Amino acid sequence: MTAIAPTLEAAPARRVKIPLAVILLIPITLINLIGFVAPVINLLSFSFREVQATGAMTGGSSIASWVAIVTDPFYIELLVNSILTSLLIVVLTLVCSFPIALLLHRTTGFARTVLLFVVITPLLTSAVVRTYGWIALLLDGGVINSLLSLAGLPTLKLIFNSTGVVIGLTEILMPYMILSLLAGFRRLDPRVEEAALTLGANPFQTFWRIIVPLTLPGVALGSLLCFVLAVSSFITPKLLGGGRVFLLATEIYDQAMVTLNWPLASTLAIMILIVFGGALFLYLRALRAIA
Amino acid sequence: MTKTFGQFLKVCATSALLASTLFTGAAKAETNLTLVAYPVLFQENYTKAVIEPFLKANPDIKITYFAQPTAAQMLGTLRAQKAAPQADVVIMDLSVSKAGSDEGLFVTLDEASVPNMKDLAPGARVPGLAGAGVTFDNLVLMYNTELVKEAPTSWMALADPAFKGKEAIPAMPDIIGLGLTVVLDRAMGGTDYLNNVDKGIEALMKIAPNVQTWDPKPEVYVPVVNGQAALGVGWNARTQLNNKLSNGRIKAVLPKEGSLFQANAISLVAGSKSQEAAKKFINYALSAEAQARFTEAMFYAPTNTKAKALISEEAIQRTALANMDRMQPMDWVALAPKRDAINEMWRRKVIPLSR
Repeated sequence: MTAIAPTLEAAPARRVKIPLAVILLIPITLINLIGFVAPVINLLSFSFREVQATGAMTGGSSIASWVAIVTDPFYIELLVNSILTSLLIVVLTLVCSFPIALLLHRTTGFARTVLLFVVITPLLTSAVVRTYGWIALLLDGGVINSLLSLAGLPTLKLIFNSTGVVIGLTEILMPYMILSLLAGFRRLDPRVEEAALTLGANPFQTFWRIIVPLTLPGVALGSLLCFVLAVSSFITPKLLGGGRVFLLATEIYDQAMVTLNWPLASTLAIMILIVFGGALFLYLRALRAIA
Repeated sequence: MTKTFGQFLKVCATSALLASTLFTGAAKAETNLTLVAYPVLFQENYTKAVIEPFLKANPDIKITYFAQPTAAQMLGTLRAQKAAPQADVVIMDLSVSKAGSDEGLFVTLDEASVPNMKDLAPGARVPGLAGAGVTFDNLVLMYNTELVKEAPTSWMALADPAFKGKEAIPAMPDIIGLGLTVVLDRAMGGTDYLNNVDKGIEALMKIAPNVQTWDPKPEVYVPVVNGQAALGVGWNARTQLNNKLSNGRIKAVLPKEGSLFQANAISLVAGSKSQEAAKKFINYALSAEAQARFTEAMFYAPTNTKAKALISEEAIQRTALANMDRMQPMDWVALAPKRDAINEMWRRKVIPLSR
């Protein structure tokens, strides 16, 4: 009896010491350690492994992969090309998504539900299926070029080059951008726009000086999300690029699955992580500037 | 009451049946083999032509077929399971199998334990390879029979402006691209592909403006079958199979300048718990009889030199066996160290010409 009593008394005292927040963070920390930190450490160790010409890794270590990506102009071009292509895709996605998000924000009731459903539906279909849809549309004998030649216009090379990749990825990433913009549009109070109009601002001035500044947090969030998804996507560039578009993600696939150079693939994967880190840093800086 | 008695009888009968099954099972001492090889068509045909006859002759052995789409994925699986291998026998691309051999993932086989190895063609016995070549395939020029009325006879048909925007060629690092570089190099007079493939690259530069896609998906045969491309470069066995499945919409040509072989190797996984049964299966897979049956089913050329006598004339005509004089030697393993440099030439000189 005396042995039990102290433990009963001590228990509540200990519970007070560990804040609930820390206990609640334990599961996600564990998942992150197992599912993210451990694989990244593994990747990092792979990037320093030695690899033979056949793809065999016989146990030695080497910095050859890191030397290659720093000195070989191909990998520098690859990095620049990936970032520029992804930025172009982000800008196009933003331009195409902004009006849709604004319309959604202003619609209410049943119409809003229908519009939201239309926006989210593409996310329920796999990107592979949607990309094959684009192949049917963009091919030389596809719908768009057939219409162009019917109208007597010259046909365009819309697929198996970077044009195809940009078109496909822009469409695929639009739902993410629209949803992020919508989340950021909460600050957009219609009364503020009305006030601007009453004070004599024309619609363009209202848009540029009221709507845009108020929606910048959503724009920043959507841009970060789409940039990260664009840099890391590889199925769409693989299917629509026709082997002419060299991006980090497709190169990682080729090095890992075709050339069997796992150390180089790991090094490139770490490079992508560094790019993401840079994007996140810029996002946080932008948020601070907006606020 | 009678109902309960009836149930009791049923339980007794089931238990007796179960016990007898357990006993016979124990008496036979079945060995389970796991074979890792390619999926879908390969799996279907290999099971029918090789595995089923083997199981009939060896009722004490069971085989589980674990399909993986690429040799790289198979190598990944073997690396991950190195401490506790789940696979016993693997059929994969010979170059990748060489990498696995170098890493000690396979047991080195010899004629003492696998007697049929003595009948294999030289190309199936690569120095340093733990296993042995089990199928041969060769690079072919393929065409869509509705778009191309007259069968091409030369690789340089690929440079014909008539086919502009109508060609599908898997570029390097795919080994079809690498093989094509060597084939074209020889066709243009190159003599030492291990040191210089400049003539091959020059030929590719003439072909490049015609190419629609360098990365045909899901594989090169599909756009040629459905007419999205008129010409393509691929492997013979797949083209022949697609020829049958598409009622002749795609056809393979072994061009007059010649072609080269690529092999799949069969290997015994180091640490396999059923080594004896695995060797028995590998020996059977390399036998003239099994190889002949698989050639009839899927048109890979046999690696066993005694198999040809057992193959029908129709199947021989669909493989390189009919044109052995056009087949040139190719050492993929020796070429591996040059692959990055050749890939670089593709990226700098060839692909930019097709934009």
